[in-house]
Amino acid sequence: MVHPFRKLGLAGLLILFSTLSWAGESPKDDTSVILTVTGSLDHEDGEDIVQFDLERLRALDETRVETSTIWTNGTHVFHGTSLAAFVDALNISEGKLRARAINDYAVDIPVSDAVEGGPILAWHLDGAPMSLREKGPLWLIYPYDSDSQYRSDLIYSRSIWQLDRIEIIR
Amino acid sequence: MQPIQPFQIARIAFGLLTFAILVLTLGALTMNVLRDLRDQRSAQEDIVQWSLSQVEIDFLRLQLAVSTLPTDQPGTEDLDQVTRAFDIFYSRVDLLRNGSAYAALRDLAEFDQAMSRVETFLDDTVPLIDGPSQDLVGAAPALLTRIETLRPAVRQVSRSGVGYFARLSDDRRNEVVRTLVQLAAVAGGLLLALLLLALRLGWLNAQSIRRRAEVAAAYERVRVVSETSLDAVILSDETGKVLSFNAAAERTFGVFAAQAIGKNLSEVIVPEHLQDWHQEEMRTFERTGKHAILGKGRVKGVASRADGTVFPVELSVQRATTLEGDIYVVVLRDISHRVQAERDLVAARDQALASERAKGDFLATMSHEIRTPLNGLLGNLGLLGDTILSERQQEYVRNMETSGRMLLRHVTDVLDITRYDAGKLRLRQRPMHVGRMIQDIVDNQSGAARANDTRLSWAWEGDRIDWILADRDRIEGVLLNIVGNAVKFTHGGQIDITAKVEPGTEPPGDDRPVLHVAVRDTGMGIAEDMQARIFEDFTTGDTTYDRQAGGTGLGLGLARRFAEAMGGAITLDSAPGRGSTFCLRLPVDPVDPPHHPTPLPADRPAAPARPSRVLLVEDNVINRTIARETLSRAAHEVTEAKDGTEAVRLAARSRFDVILMDVRMPKMDGRKATRLIRGGDGASKDVPIIALTANAQAEEQAAFLADGMNDVMVKPVLGDALLCVVDRWTSGDGASAPDPVDAEPLADLRQALGPDRVDDLLGRFAREVDTLISNGPDADPAVIADEAHRSAGSAAMFGATALQGALGALEQAARNEAQDGEFLAAAHNAARAEWSRSRVALGL
Repeated sequence: MVHPFRKLGLAGLLILFSTLSWAGESPKDDTSVILTVTGSLDHEDGEDIVQFDLERLRALDETRVETSTIWTNGTHVFHGTSLAAFVDALNISEGKLRARAINDYAVDIPVSDAVEGGPILAWHLDGAPMSLREKGPLWLIYPYDSDSQYRSDLIYSRSIWQLDRIEIIR
Repeated sequence: MQPIQPFQIARIAFGLLTFAILVLTLGALTMNVLRDLRDQRSAQEDIVQWSLSQVEIDFLRLQLAVSTLPTDQPGTEDLDQVTRAFDIFYSRVDLLRNGSAYAALRDLAEFDQAMSRVETFLDDTVPLIDGPSQDLVGAAPALLTRIETLRPAVRQVSRSGVGYFARLSDDRRNEVVRTLVQLAAVAGGLLLALLLLALRLGWLNAQSIRRRAEVAAAYERVRVVSETSLDAVILSDETGKVLSFNAAAERTFGVFAAQAIGKNLSEVIVPEHLQDWHQEEMRTFERTGKHAILGKGRVKGVASRADGTVFPVELSVQRATTLEGDIYVVVLRDISHRVQAERDLVAARDQALASERAKGDFLATMSHEIRTPLNGLLGNLGLLGDTILSERQQEYVRNMETSGRMLLRHVTDVLDITRYDAGKLRLRQRPMHVGRMIQDIVDNQSGAARANDTRLSWAWEGDRIDWILADRDRIEGVLLNIVGNAVKFTHGGQIDITAKVEPGTEPPGDDRPVLHVAVRDTGMGIAEDMQARIFEDFTTGDTTYDRQAGGTGLGLGLARRFAEAMGGAITLDSAPGRGSTFCLRLPVDPVDPPHHPTPLPADRPAAPARPSRVLLVEDNVINRTIARETLSRAAHEVTEAKDGTEAVRLAARSRFDVILMDVRMPKMDGRKATRLIRGGDGASKDVPIIALTANAQAEEQAAFLADGMNDVMVKPVLGDALLCVVDRWTSGDGASAPDPVDAEPLADLRQALGPDRVDDLLGRFAREVDTLISNGPDADPAVIADEAHRSAGSAAMFGATALQGALGALEQAARNEAQDGEFLAAAHNAARAEWSRSRVALGL
């Protein structure tokens, strides 16, 4: 397990450099924005807003998670950006992410959840984008089948779908 | 240490199994609880129920969005609001329809019905929402109406779902509670089991402590026993290495335990000269497991002390099997003292036996030696009786003769007892006739009985038995003693002798018939306290009894001995004043009547070469008549004598050519008569005497010859056999003067006193007689009488009977010198002649 992990760590480091150069870039088109990140992004430099469209999220990372969920029937393949890569790109190492859904459902996700092999910000279900009716466009998916730790009410409550906003709270 | 028993193993296994089951059960239940708790943790009820309640909220949002839609020219924003609210509600319903968490819920009829209505609404509305916005605006009021209609169904979905999950949650909690109770029960059981185990262990521990104490106490006892043991106790291992050496062993071997322990046993105790043997034994033992001493109980051997002295021991070796292997226990005792004591005892016993034998021999010799002069005395008394005596003198002679005979009988009895006690009493088994024997006894005793005015009779009772194989002399002796006593003690009464035969019963297995001879008298009887005593030696000598009865001395003691020697017994039934019954019981061997030998050489002449003068001495009238007739027909001149006394008298008076002498006779038997004739100075003192006897034994015949007889003929001697004998002894061939010296007393004397001592005595005797003879007949008659008397006694002791007789006659002549001086000279001459003959015979 040590080897793959180290590899992933190295990959994460490379991604960090690339994303930093991306941090200032915003989506060209307002309608394509699917996630708006607010809160202190850059070491207490004050309030800031970062908007992501699918391309930008996808550019950060693309992780595949195959799992069943209690909300769906059977096993499905989810593709998305791992939360670890996401917080790395935003240079966040502590605190929590307050995630909000389109229907204003909100839940706090500690940054410590963002680990390699942990949750992803899923944007594809079985290879297709998710519509609003299919709990899209973003759904925070934990690999429930891989670890019983991920099959608790707490984790279920953090598995927010129809996600469109994240506020970073340090 | 006890070996572990199978049932203990089973118990331990059972305990372990129970324990394992309890632990496993506990583990399983704990797993259950953990799973339940994990389930609880991973439970989705909250989020699921939240979603259910959210359905209604999302539905209300949709209703709000639709109801607030402006009817004219609504903005894109407003329409988006409706679309988004619909989509969210749609996604929520979709969740309930497809979410795995709600699968169980969908089986509920009320939920399912409400869901169907909601889904129908959604399916119907999707085209409107996805269609052109103008259509949506137009249909908004109708949509609102449908939404309001649907509201109870949505509420139903939410409520039934929530209710279901509440129940589910309840069940799960109960399940956990139940599991926890079970867990508590199992834990309690386990605790109980542990408690029992603890108790059991505690008990075992206590027992173990107690056992250890017991073992220690037992060991201490054994140690004390071993240390205080008077015997050496040595423990060794299989190789012979000494493990323990007690205090007695230290004392016995002169080695300290500290020195001995660890050494090899053979170094410590086995003597030098037995080392090789010991090694060989040990090798044999290793090879075969057999050992000369091991497990053989007490064995005698030798051991050596530290200083090398070898001493006798008694030892035993046992093997004990212990956890450390076999050990050997050697228990050993120094028996030097005992061996010495045994040796002393054996020596003392040998010495005592030798003394006893010497005493017996001396007694035998003395008895014999007393008897011989006594016979001389009696013979001379007989002669004296034949001389002219005054009435008072005759009375004195009779009294002397009575006393002399009694003395002779006592001496003979003592001799017999001595022989019996020395085991020399031999039985002479010959065919004998029971009836004739009893008749002889009756004949013998009837005279005395008559004198006492007593009637004596005998008869068979029941079946009779004639011929048996037995020692007639002994049986007759016993019966004669009993009958004689009865005759003596019965005055004016009756004596009945009854004989009968009974089948043998005693001892078991001896089926020989038993001859009973009961002698019943009407005499004075015997007191009870005397009854046992009269069978003892010399104890019959009660003074009053003796005086009245004439004394029998050893009689009954001897009779008892003879009866026992023949396998029989004498019993007595008596009471004072009631008379006595003596009963002799004897197992007997019946035999066929013996056939009579017929030694009749055909070539012998019917008439003798020359007629001879024959003295026929025979008590049995019939036998005497037959013999007389036989001899008379052959022209012999026969003079008859019916007993020894008569024979002696006749032989003294007349000279015969030959004397035929029956041995067994009443009053005086043939042997005695012979001795008297030979020892006397009668006319026929040196004529041949031929014994006629039923005693065929060589020993007896030798005794007859020693008495002075010249030949022995075994009865019945009939016809020509009788004539031949007479012819042989009268024709000169074979006839000879009797040996002047009886060799037997001298031989006995040499044996009893030793040859040197006897030679001394003989030398002195020779000097005495020489002096007596050389002094001549003119010496002082009193001195001659005394010296002759002394020398006669000595001559008798040496068996010089002829000399004894001559000296006896000389003494008598000396004493009568005043009356008859010539006779003294003649007697002196005779003594001189006899001395010269006897001297040669005695080897002087």
